[in-house]
Amino acid sequence: MRFAYPGGVEVYPEPGLTLTLGSGVTALVGENGAGKTTLTKLLIGLLRPSAGSVTVAGLEVAKITVAAMARTVGYSFQNPDDQLFERTVQAEVSFGPRVLRRSAEGIERGVAWALRACGLEGKEDVHPHDLGLSERKWVAIASALAGEPAVVVLDEPTLGQDYPSRERLRSLVRELDDRGRSVLVVTHDMDFVGEACPTAVVLSHGRVRYSGPTSKAFADHSVIQEAGLEPPHVDSLARMLGLSECVSEADFLSAWRR
Amino acid sequence: MALSSTSLVFENVSYAYEEAAREAVSDISLSIAVGEWVGVTGPTNAGKSTLCLLAMGLAPHFFGGRLKGRVVVLEKDSRELSVIQRSAEVGLLFQNPFTQISGARERVDDEVGFGPECHGVSRLEVAARVEEAMALVGISQLAARHPMDLSGGQLQRLALAGLLAMRPKLLLLDEPTSQLDPAGTAAIFDVLAGLHASGITIVMVEHRLETLCELCPRVVAMVAGRIIADGPPDDVFNREAVQLRVGSPVFTRLAREAGLSPPWPVRLRDATAVFGRRLA
Amino acid sequence: MAGGLSLYAEGKSLLHRAHPLTKGALTLSAIAIAFIAPSIGWVLGIGVILLVLVTAAGVLRRLLAVAAAILLPITLLLLAVQGFANANNRTVAFALGPIVYYREGLAIAALAALRIACLVCATFLFSFTTRPADISEALMQRGLSTRMGYVVQSALQIIPQTLDMAGRIQDAQRARGLETEGSLPRRARAYLPLMLPLVLSSLVATQERAMALEVRGFGLPVKRVARFEFADSPLQRVLRWVLIGAVPAAIAARLAGWR
Repeated sequence: MRFAYPGGVEVYPEPGLTLTLGSGVTALVGENGAGKTTLTKLLIGLLRPSAGSVTVAGLEVAKITVAAMARTVGYSFQNPDDQLFERTVQAEVSFGPRVLRRSAEGIERGVAWALRACGLEGKEDVHPHDLGLSERKWVAIASALAGEPAVVVLDEPTLGQDYPSRERLRSLVRELDDRGRSVLVVTHDMDFVGEACPTAVVLSHGRVRYSGPTSKAFADHSVIQEAGLEPPHVDSLARMLGLSECVSEADFLSAWRR
Repeated sequence: MALSSTSLVFENVSYAYEEAAREAVSDISLSIAVGEWVGVTGPTNAGKSTLCLLAMGLAPHFFGGRLKGRVVVLEKDSRELSVIQRSAEVGLLFQNPFTQISGARERVDDEVGFGPECHGVSRLEVAARVEEAMALVGISQLAARHPMDLSGGQLQRLALAGLLAMRPKLLLLDEPTSQLDPAGTAAIFDVLAGLHASGITIVMVEHRLETLCELCPRVVAMVAGRIIADGPPDDVFNREAVQLRVGSPVFTRLAREAGLSPPWPVRLRDATAVFGRRLA
Repeated sequence: MAGGLSLYAEGKSLLHRAHPLTKGALTLSAIAIAFIAPSIGWVLGIGVILLVLVTAAGVLRRLLAVAAAILLPITLLLLAVQGFANANNRTVAFALGPIVYYREGLAIAALAALRIACLVCATFLFSFTTRPADISEALMQRGLSTRMGYVVQSALQIIPQTLDMAGRIQDAQRARGLETEGSLPRRARAYLPLMLPLVLSSLVATQERAMALEVRGFGLPVKRVARFEFADSPLQRVLRWVLIGAVPAAIAARLAGWR
């Protein structure tokens, strides 16, 4: 797969490399400008590859309009204010499934679930712009989930979120996984990667530098350095104590108890 | 200035935005000495950003609303000085770097020089400050680019450079690295450490508690407009109220879960020592 | 990279180096006289002078590309409307069955089209060879207030900024399943979801920017320091007065019976 922006910035995974994102929860990490957003835009067809092809859930992206891809991929953008326009949270969250012409009961089920999973119950009738930035972000995430898409892309979901909000994100991602969805999380938050994402893809200068279990993603120091990453705090502590491959708090505690 | 002089003082400050049902901050008292580096944290709607706006004088100036109590910035009552007058000595970095750029300049270096130019700084001096500020935050290679062409992370560095070029004595930073990758974040915090060492006062809003504990000798924890704890990070995050309502750094949580006895560590260094002792 | 965001093209020609006010005087004077001059011959003369300058500035190709897109449809429309339907039409130029084309209309259309061509040429000549920042800087050095200078500067940038924001909003809404291309009703349905976030975001951005400007000391009553000097010369100063003076002279000549 190869892709070039019209302006010329090229994102080129290593020649011949096929990046396969399986089901489950995958973190997409890398330095500013590594090509993370480009990759996610390719997934939904907002950008077209200049060579190679992108296939999502069996659909060749190039052959389908972006709006039609939205049936399969729920995409939550970094800045919620780029999309919010309805007068109530309820209307905003149900906008996607409505334009996708889902059935009435499908819409109701999806919206109710999304509102609950995003902690927006009781706020259905509030004007989205009367909410704080963090809650507006949750409205945007709920909007991406309400159509019950098979693939969910979350761009920087933890940005500006406080601790309870991050905990909610963790459980949301777990629930999506339990429901058999594929989740791709673009983030700079390595603690969140360690806690919530079993697999990780490390991108640097447009190339895939690592793709595999998160527990091993921070082992190669040169990759970490090139991609501007830092290991999760738990990992740093575990290393100092001579414990290995602890990227989540649960990993650490079980290793500690042993 | 004597060491004991203050940089920022809040005396029983309460403030409500216009038409807001409740106060954004309630009865806040806080005294920050010259040269301190204070981290401010707390959940959403704690009043952290409002604290910055009040210190800069943007609230109530821009937002209207009711202000009770006294805000004293660099030993002057905030009511006596306009935001513009204060801008020579106090800098505020907004959460959103996009709106911090002037929107009137076509090159990154010209953008950095915007503030000093507004203050009538001589052309030579502006050029020197621009070069220095760009080098500090690591954007020298972007000098000829158009500000609108930059990514979020680059914009955040640009916004900070624009403030540093003003040579402020007090820096108010609202999540200064939210858009940056971990390496970029570390680089900016190095810059802040350097500024702190040179005697500049820094008040920084930050959600990442581990970072906060690592960097700031003093932490202010806010919840729903009130300060619930204020002190060294070890004290603040060993309080139950803070752990419950603000959260804890990873190391504190791990020590608690592992059944170690309090006080729990808040930094990597201390956690290594505490856990290491148990291992030995 | 100013490429995508302004029309200015880097160059070293005489025109690139000329004082912005000289170029401004040239542009305004050429446009004014093209509309004051009474006959095709005069207007054509101005057009030729402009084309020579465009060629000398090395921006002929770029000019032709944009000018063709603007001028072709306008010219065709003028030729058709005036030639067939002008009230002064008397002399038949040619006839296709019942449809008659008149000479008077043709002459009027040609003059109007040439005047518009001069306008387009002069405007782009200025935009291609002058940095937007130089315009406001030059005006501020001549006493334009800092605030007005900022308005000029930011106005020159507001279009690319808004387009940028609109692009992001469009991406976000398409990714939610909104079809933004295709039939007219479809595009009409996409109007609100695209416009509302744009308006709201612009309002919020404007307010925040107003605060950010104060934080940087914008509006302090200090004596403004020039950001850079423009090369100027006695010749250019004289030229500016000549160019500006030519406009009232042309008006006077017209009133005195210049045909």
